[in-house]
Amino acid sequence: MIAPALVAEVATFVADEARLLDDRDYTAWLALYAEDARYWVPVSTEQRTTTEGPMHFHDNKQLMMARTHRLMTPRAFGAEPSPRTCHVVSGTRIDALADDGEITASSSQIMLEWRARGHFEEDVRVFGGRVTHRLRRAATGGLIIAEKRIDLVNAEGSFNAMLAPL
Amino acid sequence: MASQPSAFDPAQYIRDEHVNRAAYTDPQLFAREMTHIFGRAWIYLAHDSELPVPGDYVVRHIGTQAVILTRDDDGAVQAIPNRCAHRGSTLCAFAKGHAPHGHQCPYHGWMFAADGTLKFVSNRANYEGVLANSDYNIERVAHVASYRGFIFGNLDPAAPPLVEFLGHMATAIDDLVDRSPTGEVKCSPYQLRHHYRGNWKMTFENVNDTIHPGFAHAASVVSAKHVAGEVGRENVVPGINMMMANGKPLSFFQELDMVTAPGGHSYIGGHMGMAYTPDAANAYQQALVALHGPEKASKVLGLDRHLMLLYPSSTWHARYQTIRIVRPIRHDLTEVIGYTFRLVGAPEETWVNAIEYCTGANSAASPVISDDLEIYERCLEGNGYGAREWIPMLRGLREDREATNAFTRSPSTSERFIRNQYAAWAEMMA
Repeated sequence: MIAPALVAEVATFVADEARLLDDRDYTAWLALYAEDARYWVPVSTEQRTTTEGPMHFHDNKQLMMARTHRLMTPRAFGAEPSPRTCHVVSGTRIDALADDGEITASSSQIMLEWRARGHFEEDVRVFGGRVTHRLRRAATGGLIIAEKRIDLVNAEGSFNAMLAPL
Repeated sequence: MASQPSAFDPAQYIRDEHVNRAAYTDPQLFAREMTHIFGRAWIYLAHDSELPVPGDYVVRHIGTQAVILTRDDDGAVQAIPNRCAHRGSTLCAFAKGHAPHGHQCPYHGWMFAADGTLKFVSNRANYEGVLANSDYNIERVAHVASYRGFIFGNLDPAAPPLVEFLGHMATAIDDLVDRSPTGEVKCSPYQLRHHYRGNWKMTFENVNDTIHPGFAHAASVVSAKHVAGEVGRENVVPGINMMMANGKPLSFFQELDMVTAPGGHSYIGGHMGMAYTPDAANAYQQALVALHGPEKASKVLGLDRHLMLLYPSSTWHARYQTIRIVRPIRHDLTEVIGYTFRLVGAPEETWVNAIEYCTGANSAASPVISDDLEIYERCLEGNGYGAREWIPMLRGLREDREATNAFTRSPSTSERFIRNQYAAWAEMMA
């Protein structure tokens, strides 16, 4: 039996992480990730590890830093105007609780994204799927992210430029 | 007097090293490209390792046509359009699979062998004296040939042999295969796809353009330098180095060579280096020497080329074992599909490097690629209006370094590779 308080804490944490992305508060967002964290979006739901083939995203913390720094750089014409996003997070649950306290949690997420590019409704896109977090307890007592994996429903599909982290 | 059908004159679109912007925006021109360029050139389709046993199939494209490649019972690869000879439904709904008994149409159950032979017609009695099966085979792709395990198709019965089409560029495929310590390469089952609202030629004219990165990719260079400043230059990961590589001074690219060859093909010299720990590099080197002998092994390892562009449909990065297929869908819509290859017997790091390269060079989420996609779409929009119709492709016009029958050598900053593509374009479109 997993303590309801832990389930609630994890659900709040996962929702808050998504909110930071929507707020484009990337400094606070990066602070949620462990130094050895991995953030990845496979090209197939069958990819089990990050060494089986190319991926849509495969970031360590340095690449996450570069990616988010770039979104805030005025020279990133490809990100001007910046995308605006809205995450909907639902059904967060704890799938596994390891002896060392590591938590595997999953949620269903949908992200609406808008970039004003003059293509009317086509400027709004929808990304969505299953998001899996591997969480650890930080020395400060709060949760930190060791791994975030996003299995898009159309993982095998073809994408146009993706700027905002999912 | 009856009007004559108007002849196609390439000079309407290519003149004095200028390209008419209609080349990117005209749907009728695109339709002609599909029959005259994609209908005539050899198109890279798949690798042997994707079809290991008889009955295995993959669906790929030649221009806008989907074709089914099937390994037949004799081990040969057969290619037919993905279209039932009855009412025209596509036969295969999946991009790959196993169909040892042939391909059956979901509509009325007609069934075809790997080579398109009609094997079964439902309610045969209705057709007595009306339909001969042999009249309704699916017409095969005119030629299928492979070079060192890489399978190409050609729709033109009069096409020259594949090796003639490849010419000097066969050395780029050798470059990829020779890097395997076992002589074997294996395609990853996972592909990485992106697309953009723009013309297919944009990718071909961009990926070996060494002037644009300093501008188009400036933001990722700035961000990568920011990270290097935060964590220390000596601690940066390969992905950050890859972004910083775009920030090299233009004098570096001016010295680097570009090689162009007849048929629209080209490559430029390498500029990204190779990330290896000394141990893995040493083990890899020993394995290559064991296979090739010291002389050839050092030649294989010494070769450093960036992308080889095999006009009009694929780009090859031998050093990072990545092939990208450029798939034209409409004049204003293009998909690019990335494939990575494992050098069987090489250290795991080689494979990880290939994956990281492909991810950085072909993902729509790559900070570098997303800039390119934005540019392609801006060019499509901008080329749709304004009084100026002609696009100058003049850069480096007077700077060629060496010319032989097989190739021409120029600075990598030259737009010669684009002029070379349009020379092939004009020849095939005429």
